[in-house]
Amino acid sequence: MGTILQIEHIQKYYGNEGNITQAIKDISFSVKEGEFLAIMGASGSGKTTLLNCISTIDTVSAGHICLEGRDITEIKPKELARFRRENLGFVFQDFNLLDTLTISENIALALAINKVPAKDVEARVKEIAKKLNIGDILEKYPYQVSGGQKQRCACARAIINHPKLLLADEPTGALDSHSAQMLLSTMQKIHEQLGATILMVTHDAFTASYAGRILFLQDGELFTQLHKGSDSRRAFFEKILHVLTMIGGGESHVCEACS
Amino acid sequence: MYVKLVLKNARKSVKDYLIYIVTMTISVALFYSFLSISSRYYQPDIGTAYEFRILGDGMKMAICAVTLLLLFLIRYVNSYMLKQRQKEFAVQSIMGMEQKTIGMLFFAETFIMGLLAIAIGIAIGVFTSQFITAMLLTSYGKSYQIAWTLFPDTVFLTVAFFCCSFIVVGMFHIHSIRKLQVIDMLLADRENEPSLKKSLQMPVVIILFELFTCWMLVTGIRKYYFYYDSRFGMLVKIVFWGNMLLPAITLLVPMIWRLFVRRMSGGRIDGGGDGGPGFPILVIALLICAVFNAICACGVPFIIRRYYIVLNPESTDEYIIFVLANLLFIICAVIYLASRVLLAFKEMSPEHKYHGQNLFFWGQIISKLSTTNKTMTLISMTLALAVFLFMAAPVLVGWASGFLDVRAKYDVQIFTWYNQIYDEEKLPRGNYSIVSDFLAEHEIEAAYDRIFNLYLPQRTDFHKRVKWDFPAVAISLSDYNEIRKMLGYETISLAEDEFTTQWQSIATQEERNEYLQAHTAVETDAGELALSRQAYYTEAIGETVYNLYTDVLLVFPDEICKGLLPVMRNRYIMTKENITYAEASALQDIFYLEYPEEGDSGADLRMKTLQVNDTKANMFVLQAVMIYGGVVLMVICLTILSLQQLLDAGHYQYRFGVLRKLGVEEKDIGSLVLKQLGVWFGLPVTVAILAAIVIVAYFISSVSVEISAYIGFGTLMPQIFITAGILAMLLSCYFLSTWILFRRAICP
Repeated sequence: MGTILQIEHIQKYYGNEGNITQAIKDISFSVKEGEFLAIMGASGSGKTTLLNCISTIDTVSAGHICLEGRDITEIKPKELARFRRENLGFVFQDFNLLDTLTISENIALALAINKVPAKDVEARVKEIAKKLNIGDILEKYPYQVSGGQKQRCACARAIINHPKLLLADEPTGALDSHSAQMLLSTMQKIHEQLGATILMVTHDAFTASYAGRILFLQDGELFTQLHKGSDSRRAFFEKILHVLTMIGGGESHVCEACS
Repeated sequence: MYVKLVLKNARKSVKDYLIYIVTMTISVALFYSFLSISSRYYQPDIGTAYEFRILGDGMKMAICAVTLLLLFLIRYVNSYMLKQRQKEFAVQSIMGMEQKTIGMLFFAETFIMGLLAIAIGIAIGVFTSQFITAMLLTSYGKSYQIAWTLFPDTVFLTVAFFCCSFIVVGMFHIHSIRKLQVIDMLLADRENEPSLKKSLQMPVVIILFELFTCWMLVTGIRKYYFYYDSRFGMLVKIVFWGNMLLPAITLLVPMIWRLFVRRMSGGRIDGGGDGGPGFPILVIALLICAVFNAICACGVPFIIRRYYIVLNPESTDEYIIFVLANLLFIICAVIYLASRVLLAFKEMSPEHKYHGQNLFFWGQIISKLSTTNKTMTLISMTLALAVFLFMAAPVLVGWASGFLDVRAKYDVQIFTWYNQIYDEEKLPRGNYSIVSDFLAEHEIEAAYDRIFNLYLPQRTDFHKRVKWDFPAVAISLSDYNEIRKMLGYETISLAEDEFTTQWQSIATQEERNEYLQAHTAVETDAGELALSRQAYYTEAIGETVYNLYTDVLLVFPDEICKGLLPVMRNRYIMTKENITYAEASALQDIFYLEYPEEGDSGADLRMKTLQVNDTKANMFVLQAVMIYGGVVLMVICLTILSLQQLLDAGHYQYRFGVLRKLGVEEKDIGSLVLKQLGVWFGLPVTVAILAAIVIVAYFISSVSVEISAYIGFGTLMPQIFITAGILAMLLSCYFLSTWILFRRAICP
């Protein structure tokens, strides 16, 4: 499988002269087509900044991001919206559903914006809803359904246009554990059955354990990465916790403090 | 510390307060400029013939009454600010600040902004009061010069009025801040659209409407019973039957709906509340009924005028109320149905629904409409009233000034009515010499002075005292010619056995022709007279030469008049120079001492100076109050409309943010915003304009005789168009500023 996303030495600074924060110092990695990649790190490690740069919502200060060989840091601001709607799908922590539209309309909106012929819209919405188990709540409004259902609706909206890359920012952040588990199985299903490439940002080890590979960020740099390989999810989860303990820096810092 | 906090807050949030300051400034400017006219220091150059003080008090009262409406707006804008700041209050409260202090801080902040608005408002008011002065001087027929003066008493009144309003509203808000729960303040902006709970508004409106319809039905039946005649023309019959049958049908509709529609929907509708699946059908049915009811009610004044159908005098008023009631119901129903119709329209065509961002657009509009139904309805009604005030002002003013020109023809006119006199001996014979004495004393020279009698053609007519039976009186040819000379008209001549007629301007051509055809000859106590070849004259010669309830004056040869019974004795004087207001008042006092108004002499005095003064003052107050009221109502409506949109800017920023993330281009977002605001402003404005057009058309057609007599449609139409232009400008100003603020609010 070919490389779909190539990140080369990107850097991101905030602030002005004299008071510069370096959110991303120097990060390079690549994502293969059909991969489920998670990015982990503590608050302030730069993971959301990284996701924002990839999603073209934010710009990089240096470096290149290539999606299918096209450098997205070179795209003109005017064309960005078009690029986003044709290539990327988003799932956010706070769902980002429109409360004025029903679940089905929320999903249909993504199609309508992509100028899909009106006659195909309803059939496609129904099809995806069936796959994600939200077929029976299509006519409800977001405020009438549970958080898990909202997030699955957001997933449906994100993948209905078959984006090249599905970006998820803390998708389980606002869910209870049961809903989170259901959502993650859904995402796994999307990954396995629909062959979607997923890039998910999270700080939750359990959520990350559903991914195939995990990148750990610390203070704007790539700390390490972990492959699931043939491990069971449980074993993978243990490994993640171990790495987190190391990053959290627990040991060395605590020891320094002791001595 | 707190003072610093207040000042800092105020400076920081000037942008947030923009809409507050703008609204307050407009209110203050309007208040100041209209009130400045009643200032003690205001002395426009309107000449000695006019006394200005009579304007002041009426004006002050009227302006203050209208301004009470502004209190409502101040309260509304303040609550808007309160909602904007709630989260900040929550943080302050969590930090341990007492809610009373927070309330005081908020009050201090709004008060500072208010003072700023007062200062700017008065500055603008000084400028805009020039327009009012211009309006005033034009209505007194003088040219005007711009004068930049600040009236201390008006400034004081303005500051006092608005400070008091701020304090009253502020106290109210301090109270409501104290009652607020911290958690509610904290989560205020995370609130969803209010849940769609069952609203009782429409059922209540329907019940009221049905009660009105009952009244209409009873009235219709009574009119039919007392006045219907099978010989009436088709149109008249339709109006009679329509005003009886349509209300009856309207009353039956809810019963039919209950029986059929509810059964069809399997009795799923509960309790008659809003939101049942069959309820909109009832509203639609009643809406159709209301439209037909209104048309039929409009027909009543039309047939009265066009076909001279005799109904009791209150009929016109009654049916104006019915038209208004039906219109109000139509507005309520249209706004209520608007969101449902849009919803149905959206569902009808998937092609349209799934085209581009339409889905989002419909979602925005429908959710907002269904939660702000009541406000929308009220705004439409108020706007319609404002538009009506604007349109009716030039009609009424034109009418009054046209009437004045017809009435105030002579500098002094003394006239009599004989309707209180039953004994021929008591008919007036004097020469009103006290007036001559007064004029001589004040060295006012008369250019023309004529004392003359008005005669009854037949002595037996003296006792005809029923309203429609009053005889027309006659004037002798020499007196008539003298009056014509006074007014600068050509004199006329008559053969010995001829008579001619003189007509009031209010009489229509048809009335005149009908009369002249029926009276080709007239029988008098001194012989019969034939109608002259020149059968009528219509130049305005004042309205005191006609008998009560008649529009025609007969002109007889002098010889004939000698043999007739004189019943009225008039004296018209034209002076060489203007009589001043003071002299006119003095003369009036002396006259009424000699000839008391309550006495049986029947003599009365009118002077041009006083007539012009009173009419112009009243006319000006009327015009100013109507325009002021119109502007105030319009400003209130438009401010609320634009605040309703801006209040939700938080929601919108989020919603448009989602769209951006979904990859919608800025260009499309721009057109979405424009479309949304267009519908939001367009709907109530269109409904209001349609309603106002109906009311104005009804109003104009009911006074069309007066309009063509005293104003002329030619002069009226440009005025109405100018007013419409100004309204359109005001609307577009509000639309533009809302648009700009809205765009800024949804910026990422």
